[in-house]
Amino acid sequence: MVEHSAMGAHTILGLDPVWLAASIFLVTYGLIMIERVNRAIVAMLAAGLMVLSGVLTQEAAVRGVDFNTIGLLTGMMIIVAITRQSGVFQFMAIWSAKKVGANPWGILVMLIFVTAVFSALLDNVTTVLLIVPVTLLITDELKLNPYPFLFSEIFASNIGGTATLIGDPPNIMIGSAVGLSFNDFLFNLGPAAAFILLVTLIPIYLIWGRTLDAPQELRQRVMAYDEKGAITDKTLLWKSLGVLTLVIIGFVVAHDINQQPATIAMFGAALLMLLDNLPRAFSDQAQNCHKTYGEVEWITIFFFIGLFIVVYGVESTGLLEKLAHEVLEITGGDMTITALSILWVSAIASAVVDNIPFVATMIPLIEGMGEVMGGSDKLMPLWWSLALGSCLGGNGSLVGASANLIVAGFAERVGHPIRFLPFMLMAFPLMIFSIAISSVYVYFRFL
Amino acid sequence: MTARLIMNQNPTVLHTTDKISLAAEHIMKYRYRRLPVVDEDGKYIGVFGVNCLLRLVLPKALFMKNGLESAAFLNTSLSDLHRRFNELKDEPITLCMTDEAITVTPDTPLAETLRLLYGHMGSLPVVDPEDGRLVGAISYWDVGSAILHASV
Repeated sequence: MVEHSAMGAHTILGLDPVWLAASIFLVTYGLIMIERVNRAIVAMLAAGLMVLSGVLTQEAAVRGVDFNTIGLLTGMMIIVAITRQSGVFQFMAIWSAKKVGANPWGILVMLIFVTAVFSALLDNVTTVLLIVPVTLLITDELKLNPYPFLFSEIFASNIGGTATLIGDPPNIMIGSAVGLSFNDFLFNLGPAAAFILLVTLIPIYLIWGRTLDAPQELRQRVMAYDEKGAITDKTLLWKSLGVLTLVIIGFVVAHDINQQPATIAMFGAALLMLLDNLPRAFSDQAQNCHKTYGEVEWITIFFFIGLFIVVYGVESTGLLEKLAHEVLEITGGDMTITALSILWVSAIASAVVDNIPFVATMIPLIEGMGEVMGGSDKLMPLWWSLALGSCLGGNGSLVGASANLIVAGFAERVGHPIRFLPFMLMAFPLMIFSIAISSVYVYFRFL
Repeated sequence: MTARLIMNQNPTVLHTTDKISLAAEHIMKYRYRRLPVVDEDGKYIGVFGVNCLLRLVLPKALFMKNGLESAAFLNTSLSDLHRRFNELKDEPITLCMTDEAITVTPDTPLAETLRLLYGHMGSLPVVDPEDGRLVGAISYWDVGSAILHASV
């Protein structure tokens, strides 16, 4: 798959490049898993080693980085960093709670939908960072245990993120590598995500929903909230909603106007920064820009860059293609077996390890199956399986997705900690349930 | 010159077992901003501040890390705040005591003590580095009177 020139002329000490690349890769994975050193540092160090040891040249390393993914992530992070200052997300959460008369089960359902929709359009971490404080405020007011609410929001964020190209990093990576559009994701995964979200409500209702109750007098306090007060900056609200709408329209038509999502997101970010800074004096703009750029999650960005290089190093040695053939040997080249295996393996893997490195590795591996499967356009069921498995798998445990850990952090701060095992006891079976639904969906829709 | 010279050797203290109502009483009566907290052996444990009282009567979601950025939508009345205070007044003060407050030792140089006090709201606990006991406290007023009464 990868042209031979990707390889460096000579590896250090004349070591076998395959073993060298594979060793760096495995050590990187190990270090990311044991969480002793920040993952961004690990990935950048490993990327440096890939070049310094001669597996890749610097030019090849740069080619290995998927700048469409990087640009899309960074652009969206900037847009969200500015938009959140307007208070629109809190507004939505409070508005939806009042819409159902502050009835606890109603609030839970509304917050699930709000979380899912925001997670589909923004990144999951930001979504929970904005929704969970409002949730805790409401449960505090209603004197309810926040656990059912937080648990459901974790699920909603991962399920919502599955639905779109920009919802979850695995989708961004897959979309970028395969050239899938926003609409491809929305039409192919959207229905599955919506159905899974609805079905997930059933066990949540049976376990917690039936008994959720709050006296009328406490509910009145929530009804007394003035959601308009949550809007802290009205001008900024219209500017950011305007740009956000344009960006989403941009994603929808990107394919037809021959543009990549990164361009849309980055241009949207630049436009919103312009609107945000135009009323300010030139001398104040530097500080404001600095603040906006400072809110980009650079750890994630550098982690991606490093990881892309590491995976490209392994890919360039032909190891992943070989591995792809091995996998096909096992599945007998049968599309159904291969797709469902990818779905289940990625779900289980994403529940226990970070899904970003997993997906980064699976992408070239699946690309390597193209020849045997009769061309790369025959691989679509595999891509959808990878996306469903790696996004939904994040629900399987507390460490399955960064958003889960953010929610757990909040829970800890208000004295209702979410413990690893009790969470998993409930979340893992529920995640398996969603993968079972996905299996049926993949089978009938794509196979 | 060191912190020992200007410290108040008998500061009002709270004990870890004291209730929030007692802390509130002290703070309201003497207009303290922060009171040092000690255990039964006189060992320094932390600080209970007036801002803690404020935090107690408002929802936790406002003051936690990454909490709500605005409370403009809350329609809170004084009776709501009073009710919340009543719910919590019998809890131990450790509920919102902070143990991260800056402390000095009796031997911290004077200028350094004042520098630390400057970047700090209220008073500085003076802690014996050997046994961890609270030996005094330094407030802006202790410093002020020490300076005004110093011989030139």
